[in-house]
Amino acid sequence: MRIVDLKKAGHVRTPIYVREKIGTIDYFCGAFENPEERAYGRVGAGRIPLYRVRVMQRDLWPDYGGADNDSLLLEIYHHWLRPT
Amino acid sequence: MKPDHPEHDHAHSHDHKHAHGPHPTREDDDVALSYGEARFLALKGLLIGKGIITADEVRRQHEINERGTPHQGARMVAKAWVDSAFKARMLKDAKAAAIELGIEVTEAELMAIENTPTCHNIIVCTLCSCYPRSLLGEPPAWYVSKAYRSRAVREPRKVLREFGLSFPDAVEVRVHDSNADLRYVVLPMRPPGTEAASEAELVDLISRDCLVGTALPGRNTVS
Amino acid sequence: MTDRLITDIGGLPADAVPREEVPQLFWEKHMIAMFNVLWSKGIFNLDEFRRMVEMTPLEEYKKSNFYGRRIDGMSELLIEKKIIDRDELAAQTEEILRMGTRDHVP
Repeated sequence: MRIVDLKKAGHVRTPIYVREKIGTIDYFCGAFENPEERAYGRVGAGRIPLYRVRVMQRDLWPDYGGADNDSLLLEIYHHWLRPT
Repeated sequence: MKPDHPEHDHAHSHDHKHAHGPHPTREDDDVALSYGEARFLALKGLLIGKGIITADEVRRQHEINERGTPHQGARMVAKAWVDSAFKARMLKDAKAAAIELGIEVTEAELMAIENTPTCHNIIVCTLCSCYPRSLLGEPPAWYVSKAYRSRAVREPRKVLREFGLSFPDAVEVRVHDSNADLRYVVLPMRPPGTEAASEAELVDLISRDCLVGTALPGRNTVS
Repeated sequence: MTDRLITDIGGLPADAVPREEVPQLFWEKHMIAMFNVLWSKGIFNLDEFRRMVEMTPLEEYKKSNFYGRRIDGMSELLIEKKIIDRDELAAQTEEILRMGTRDHVP
């Protein structure tokens, strides 16, 4: 999956360092309220799927100095993901 | 906020001293009143005056918060080492496993991440300071530092070397950025040579940093 | 490229991780407790708080520490929600600093 850069202003929880990177879905965390809505007082709205996504470190950092196999996992809400 | 030199004595009352958990606390008698503390006291007074909160509510919450200590995490890990069925339950649903031991985890989700001979895990929150506080208490200063938040995702092996840990390339170093709703605790490997140890002895081997991924149980040198 | 939130620092260059154990001060523990009470009661939610911290001016954020961000973010959020007034908070803060009193048990 690609973690897209939605170029969205305001409160988001998708860090810049993973945007436009390719990863694989590791785990479906379940459905949670969208923090992008909650941050503006819009609570109790529909829950959205949240996934743990695994990205290889060598894909994240051009100068990554660790091992080829090293990876990073973080949680991404479904609207930030597109199939590759 | 670093404390300044003491300025003056003042009489004040404060809560009875309670047993300190592993997270160090100190009374602020010898610390000059800082801007941050003054702002907090002002805010608290205003909120109480407006009936938004009560002093009792704050005190009760403080006592609840004090229950979180690394010892609780260590108990879970030690039990997982001696009881493989518990370990399986902990890996499946760490929150439920904690509750089995009488540990009141209040985060929405808690996930235990197992270290293996081919994978070492390390936890960070790059965006703020997410940490399983109801299990482990307040995170250490290094965990919430900008240096750790910036570098743990980019150069985890260098950061681990600063903590005295080093792994061959055959062992994956896996970073978990807890940027959303899950909170994480590392389930470290049981050190070799501890087969005869009791569960209580095993608990003593497991420090706070082992549960975040910057230490290994029973030792603090290079692996 | 999107503007980076000030809190979004993953991957930025930084110095050695500071290893000093910094004991939590008495007021800091109580401040965290008060923060917990406020969100438990639905006065604000954690995401609103994080948004307020993200709105801190960059230079201020760089100099800030964890507890400073917590008390400042919480104050700004309560002001935004008109639960408290900026002037009354400033006045009370100044008064406490001026008198030098400290009362952990009101």
